[in-house]
Amino acid sequence: MKTYEVFLKKEGKDPFSHAGSVDAPDDELALTYAREAYGRRSEGDQMWVVRRSDIIIADETELKMADRKHKHNDGQLLAELRRAAPRDES
Amino acid sequence: MVPTEEARELVLAFADDELCVGQNHSWWIAVGPFLEEDLAFTSIAQDELGHARALYSLLTDDVDHLAYGRTPSEYRSAHIAEFLCHDWSWALVRHVLHDIGEQIRWSAITDSSWKELAHTAQRALAEEHFHAQHGLSLMRRLLSNEDGRRRLEPVILELAPYGREYFVDPGHGLVDEGVLTMSMADQEQEWVKQVSGLFDEFDIPVDLNVEMPAFGRSGVRSKDFDLLHDEMTAVIRIDPKAQW
Repeated sequence: MKTYEVFLKKEGKDPFSHAGSVDAPDDELALTYAREAYGRRSEGDQMWVVRRSDIIIADETELKMADRKHKHNDGQLLAELRRAAPRDES
Repeated sequence: MVPTEEARELVLAFADDELCVGQNHSWWIAVGPFLEEDLAFTSIAQDELGHARALYSLLTDDVDHLAYGRTPSEYRSAHIAEFLCHDWSWALVRHVLHDIGEQIRWSAITDSSWKELAHTAQRALAEEHFHAQHGLSLMRRLLSNEDGRRRLEPVILELAPYGREYFVDPGHGLVDEGVLTMSMADQEQEWVKQVSGLFDEFDIPVDLNVEMPAFGRSGVRSKDFDLLHDEMTAVIRIDPKAQW
């Protein structure tokens, strides 16, 4: 048995999202099982089924490592600076 | 059109096959060979029960009564549909034989002169494609494996001839009336061709040129029917007003 990851997309702007995984002996049965497990109630209009072994997986420790606070710009700091700055009335 | 008696017999027999197979498949809920197969197989069970309901509703307004309220000799199911198949190899072989048959049987009525029947067939046929694909993929996969083949081959040899009963002709006017666009005899020939073709791939010598192995269409029930009927009527016996 191989493990497959299943992705579904609804019609419209939403992107594909992960629905879950299935174990199957081959690609053909993986599609069948994915459809029955995750798509039998028309949960999606499109489905991708991907062999898990084909997924390139990033290193988790590298992802967690650094303090990434400075990447989170919610505009709050800039808004405060602008409020504090004297207005140009010209 | 007002359907003739033989057209109603055709539909009743088909509905009874679907009811029995759907009920039998559902016995595998939570005990399928592995989780994914459990889900797929019992989802197919639900589809078959849906087909039964759609066919019964062409014959009556009281589907529950027709499905569950008859005496055993009033059922028309083929024995292959009634067999309990409480061994996975039996359940899988019956699934494949049944669904190859269903594709042919629905195809023969998608352009039926009985419009409601044609409409039902068009919807069912779309699902049937997936059922057959599921059964055939798994069957081929298991027959390519030594252990799978050892378990499946004797069941195939024993069960396959019973599939002929699906094609017993309830009357010979169905093609002339336009109810069928393919005669029962031609449907049977197509089924024999597809089933033989499948097992030829694996050098399994199924012999389908046998005498009719059972007479379910004439009201004779198989040895398994009582237990099956007991199970399917369990709810209605407790609560006769329960809705399907």
